[in-house]
Amino acid sequence: MDCDVVNNMNAATRRTKGDKKVLKKQQKASHTLLKHEGISTTSQPTKSLVVANGGLGNGVSREDLFAAVNQFGDVESLLMPPQKPYAFVTYRFEDGARKAHAQLNGKKLQSGENSVTFYLSYVDSVKHREEALVGFPEGLTLVEDFVSLEEEALLLAAVDWSMSNEAQKALKHRRVKHYGFEFRYDNNNVDKDKPLPAGLPDECLPVLQRCLQDGLINVLPDQLTVNQYESGQGIPPHVDTHSAFEDTILSLSLGAKAVMEFRHPDGRAVPVVLPERSLLVMKGESRYLWTHGITPRKFDLVPACEPDVGSNSGLTLSKRGTRTSFTFRKIRYEPCCCAFPSACDSQEGTSPYPPSPPSLPCCHADATLLEEEYVHRVYDAIASHFSRTRHTPWPHVCRFLSSLPPGSVLVDVGCGNGKYLGVNPQLITVGCDRSSALVQICAERGFQVFVSDALSVPLRTASCDACISIAVIHHFSTLERRLAAVRELVRLLKPGGQALIYVWAYEQEYNKQKSKYLKDHDKQHNGEKSKDTPEESQESHEEPSVFTTCHVERDVKDASEMTEGRLSVHTNRTAFNSQDLLVPWHLKGRKTHGEEESSGRFSSRGEPNPDLDSSMSSDTTHSPDSKPSPSDNMCQIPGGSSVPVFHRYYHVFQQGELEQLCTQVTGIKVQTSYHDQGNWCVVLQKE
Amino acid sequence: ATEVKVNEVEFNPKFVCRMIPKLEWSTLVQAADQLGHREELPGELVPDYEKNEDFLKKVHRVLLEVEVIEGCLQCPESGREFPISKGIPNMLLNEDEA
Repeated sequence: MDCDVVNNMNAATRRTKGDKKVLKKQQKASHTLLKHEGISTTSQPTKSLVVANGGLGNGVSREDLFAAVNQFGDVESLLMPPQKPYAFVTYRFEDGARKAHAQLNGKKLQSGENSVTFYLSYVDSVKHREEALVGFPEGLTLVEDFVSLEEEALLLAAVDWSMSNEAQKALKHRRVKHYGFEFRYDNNNVDKDKPLPAGLPDECLPVLQRCLQDGLINVLPDQLTVNQYESGQGIPPHVDTHSAFEDTILSLSLGAKAVMEFRHPDGRAVPVVLPERSLLVMKGESRYLWTHGITPRKFDLVPACEPDVGSNSGLTLSKRGTRTSFTFRKIRYEPCCCAFPSACDSQEGTSPYPPSPPSLPCCHADATLLEEEYVHRVYDAIASHFSRTRHTPWPHVCRFLSSLPPGSVLVDVGCGNGKYLGVNPQLITVGCDRSSALVQICAERGFQVFVSDALSVPLRTASCDACISIAVIHHFSTLERRLAAVRELVRLLKPGGQALIYVWAYEQEYNKQKSKYLKDHDKQHNGEKSKDTPEESQESHEEPSVFTTCHVERDVKDASEMTEGRLSVHTNRTAFNSQDLLVPWHLKGRKTHGEEESSGRFSSRGEPNPDLDSSMSSDTTHSPDSKPSPSDNMCQIPGGSSVPVFHRYYHVFQQGELEQLCTQVTGIKVQTSYHDQGNWCVVLQKE
Repeated sequence: ATEVKVNEVEFNPKFVCRMIPKLEWSTLVQAADQLGHREELPGELVPDYEKNEDFLKKVHRVLLEVEVIEGCLQCPESGREFPISKGIPNMLLNEDEA
């Protein structure tokens, strides 16, 4: 062999394993940048670098990135496109870029509670895409510094929270208090004939006088709603009911700032930063047509206010504090005659925007339709993804299965992907599920299964020694059907046989311990890698908490945002605010090897996102058929890719509810009843 | 049945023994017969079958190894047929049948 070749080979091997790894990852990052963002990197040094994993989308703040890059030379510009997993830095001199590349490539950075690894590559040019300056929605005004610090303190002290709802506290829901008139969340309206004994607090008077004087309002408001949001809490998008309140609505923000999102029916979204002590005035279109809401988050993206380097539309992360809003409104007594009939309940009857959610069914036929749409079609569509997230059998269920005598006949009603069918091989086990797609997965694993409805299981009466039904009955949308499901399980049992039932609990925080479902929410917001995918919600590997009696008020409707009987969409990994709801499922396609890597990282999977584990793989389990897709909508995730979102119907059970349901079936006795990681569980025995 | 498969499954005499009392024997024989896989299965349970390995093996074969891949299950009372596809019976009733 040639001497040169040998030398080169030696040089190559001299490059350490660590270097090779970094190089490989950097190349991967470059490739993904090109493939998904159209950013081309170059191997020749230039003045500009792209910093993969150094973006706002990775939870890196402008300040931290600036501090990291500034040490290598004069930084000419720092561009951090919102929600992207990369940033651009341009140095005045190429030398700065070279130094930065040499020192930062492959290096870890601690930004807030995140730890990221940077991969730097040279780029030829940095295209400054000026964000289209989006104006405020028509009719919206923000007046900053509307109250002084003293006034803010006085107003906050004026609210007596001691009478607040215990259920709200237990559920970590935002706190709400009404003055003047009670706002009802079951019909989103006000009891106009029943004013509350206390009017508006005296402390509000000076503020309201100021509003009158400044011409912001013509009439003094007579209703006040105080909302207190802790970090991570929010309020779903909504339009304040036309028929309940007159035009101008005032909202004073105290204690902390937050970002409120306004959405127009045509899809336009405008984020509005509400600084502390600012007054938001909603009139006209912004009050009657645009929805407003606050995303439950712990961090908001806000404009960077320092006269920073380079770009004039820099953004940074702002940690949320506890914000209290005082919303003043004037009760409306005449029907609303606004210019926005599409959103008006006086003029059109229902508001088609946001799209009408389904209501709770009142009869068997409606229930079947609801379950078909929001349970069966969904499971069939998400089966393989769902199965991938259901791999660990729960210890307590396993214990039940292992305690059964060998040779017992067991049926798993609603067996899903067959997770429990193989736990005790000494049993004669048969499984059934409503979803053919899931049953297919079981069959592939070699289990004895068939497709059937839980209300009509084709097995002989009293033929089973034991039954289990894990996370099934909560999908039935009426009490009668839930009861029928329990009756069917009992029918299958031999006398003396036992059934184990698990249903999702309304109370996710039990005995002061959060369920894994809630815990993972916090983990994700802090940028930590969560071992499970977001939907590994009720699945847990942990032992259940030992419980003592925990009293939770039944009066939960107060906290809900629903109009009468309508199902609201739940925000994953937050406390439940109603018992009947639609839970989103974000469908992911085939795993690439990058799925083992932490989310929010730049990997071959493509666009990471601190809040949403996403995959840009085009190979999703979409079946292209002519039927309308069971996916309610495509969720636009930051970065531009779309992930289909499905909604599953759930009736989550309150403490004692499952027991009560079982006791309505004759001939059985409830043996044990417990809480297991966000589920209520019951073992019953047939007499 | 239009497609029947015979798999090879590890023989576990204890397991088979425990299954037998749970079965409706005549129905099993009838089903095996219809599939053409009865193969010497006796019409009645053999006494002392626990020790009869030969017998247990026959039961094992019919219970755990013979598999209907494509076919149907017919309700003896109503005559309603439930399809079996890829080894999976679909026992769902239509709206009007429930």
